[in-house]
Amino acid sequence: MADDLLVHAEGLSKVYGDVVPTPALTDVSFSLGCHEFASVIGRSGSGKSTLLNLIGLLDTPTSGRLVLNNRDTAGLDRDGRAKLRNTFVGFVFQFHHLLPEFSVIENVYMPSLIRGDPQSTQLVDRARETLETLALGDVADKNANEISGGQKQRVAVARALMNRPQLVLADEPTGNLDTENTDLVYELFRKVNREWGTGFLIVTHDRAIAQQTDRILELSDGRLLQDVANPGVEREAPAPGKR
Amino acid sequence: MLSLRIATRFLRTSPGQSILIVAGIAVGIAVQIFVGTLITSLQASLLDTTIGNASHVTLQNVDDKKAIVYTPAIQRVLASDPRVKLIVPDRVLSVIFSKGTDSAPINVVGAEPSDINAIYKMRQHLVAGRLVNAADEVILGKSFAKKYQLKTGDPVLVVLPGGEQQKLTLVGIFDVGTSAVNDRIGFTTPDFPRRALGMAANDYSDIQTQLTDPFQSQAVIRSWKGLEVFKGVQFKDWQVENAQLLVGLQGQSSSSYMIQVFVLVAVALGIASTLAISAVQKTRQIGILKAMGLTDRRAGLVFLWEAALLGGCGTALGLVFGVGLLQLFQLGPLTFPIVLDPAFVGGSCAIGVVVALLSAIIPSRGTSRLDPIEVIQGGG
Ligand SMILES: Nc1ncnc2c1ncn2[C@@H]1O[C@H](COP(=O)(O)OP(=O)(O)O)[C@@H](O)[C@H]1O
Ligand SMILES: [Mg+2]
Repeated sequence: MADDLLVHAEGLSKVYGDVVPTPALTDVSFSLGCHEFASVIGRSGSGKSTLLNLIGLLDTPTSGRLVLNNRDTAGLDRDGRAKLRNTFVGFVFQFHHLLPEFSVIENVYMPSLIRGDPQSTQLVDRARETLETLALGDVADKNANEISGGQKQRVAVARALMNRPQLVLADEPTGNLDTENTDLVYELFRKVNREWGTGFLIVTHDRAIAQQTDRILELSDGRLLQDVANPGVEREAPAPGKR
Repeated sequence: MLSLRIATRFLRTSPGQSILIVAGIAVGIAVQIFVGTLITSLQASLLDTTIGNASHVTLQNVDDKKAIVYTPAIQRVLASDPRVKLIVPDRVLSVIFSKGTDSAPINVVGAEPSDINAIYKMRQHLVAGRLVNAADEVILGKSFAKKYQLKTGDPVLVVLPGGEQQKLTLVGIFDVGTSAVNDRIGFTTPDFPRRALGMAANDYSDIQTQLTDPFQSQAVIRSWKGLEVFKGVQFKDWQVENAQLLVGLQGQSSSSYMIQVFVLVAVALGIASTLAISAVQKTRQIGILKAMGLTDRRAGLVFLWEAALLGGCGTALGLVFGVGLLQLFQLGPLTFPIVLDPAFVGGSCAIGVVVALLSAIIPSRGTSRLDPIEVIQGGG
């Protein structure tokens, strides 16, 4: 059973600031199994980004235990965390965060170069394939800041998928997109989840979007208020979170 | 090599900034090479004119009026000392030249023609005739010969200190470039002054020596002074005789070093500040790369590579500028030869690259310590 978990959080807490301590996340516990397609909702300031940044190893918890891919992350040094960020998770942020110095396709295969893959035709082919999955084949050789906002965000998704991670963490990935592009991105997420078996944890403040996921975790004031299998989706209900 | 690739791309995408730093380093290294070489060449030339054809350590009798006896023991010590390049025992005699109603003093230096050739490169400096080889032959300077309308083959009448007249034959005319020599020195074999002064076969006015390294003169004298064979002998050090000149040269060297150091400091500050700005400008990119898993070490390497590339290009360009400028000066107004010292030029280039790398340490440290969350939270 435990072998199937991508994420296992136990009493995860984060307090910002030394002088005026601000609790951003308090005692959050849950597990995320392989291939799950889950969302995190909550009001602005409820700790959604904090939770995602902790799971994505961009930030460290003040207390609590975080196990990723059956490894306790407490024992990892900075390089170890960097390696896990590179191989285990794909991150999509609210801002596309593309590198303006590089072309679209270079941005996409950057995570693989960081992983240590040699620059090769296979690498370029894989990046091109990923771009084509996201209907971006024709902008591959453009510069990263020559394309539209919607395209940029899809390129960011392609980049997150390049190393074929087991888990994609998306923090309000469509916050800056129009409805057309928003729908496109979620369709893509679904497709990748179905076809590649990639697990997703998607932060959104839009309940309508959350309704399209299989499981909804709701945060309020940094606490996990609810963790429910989404009955609105006709799909085998995922195992509820531990505890 | 991903760090290098990112560094190259960062540099290429801000060409203005890159060109500015490269130009800064190039100017610095060019000035360094130019000033350093110019001063060194000037000093070498000044030294050469001063001591190139002069004695470095001169041996004389402690009693100035008496001759020094060039004993076989002294000969052995001098000849076996590896620091000694040339030994010229000579006899000096003041005579009065007369022609018709004209008369002029001549200092006659009598020494072996091969020695005179060695110390003055006399064969090269002959403008007419040949070196002396018999006791009644003399060679004189160009200006002297011109003034008294003498040509080779002409008789040269001189009055010895005792009042006795002697006829010598002019066999050669030289121009060694120094008027002190050209105007009033005549060279003969050692025999002419020996007879005129009534000296014994081993008696000389002084023994001139040249050293492989003229600046060893003090050490050489120190090592000779206590030796038994040099009893009654005094040593004259060119460095003591030319103390004034040496102080001047030293001042010149110090100011040259100062200029070079300040230029390098300016270059270092320039690179450091531009790299620091560049590092700040690229903070977002570095943060994103780290969020994707770039390690701290490789992130830090990005700016070290930038510095190495900028330092390398700037130094190469500076080398071309500096050497080119020196060549240009050599063609133009300079009266002394410019000697490029490969060690100095190589050292300057190495310093250029090292300074560039050192000035990258701070931005590189900052980059390697950067936490990706700072950038990710900061937003677009
Ligand atoms: N770096 C930080 N320093 C101090 N407080 C922070 C920091 N990041 C987030 N917070 C606070 O933590 C709480 C949760 O923030 P966040 O996780 O960004 O919420 P959400 O993403 O749900 O809007 C908020 O009150 C926010 O002000
Ligand atoms: Mg947020």
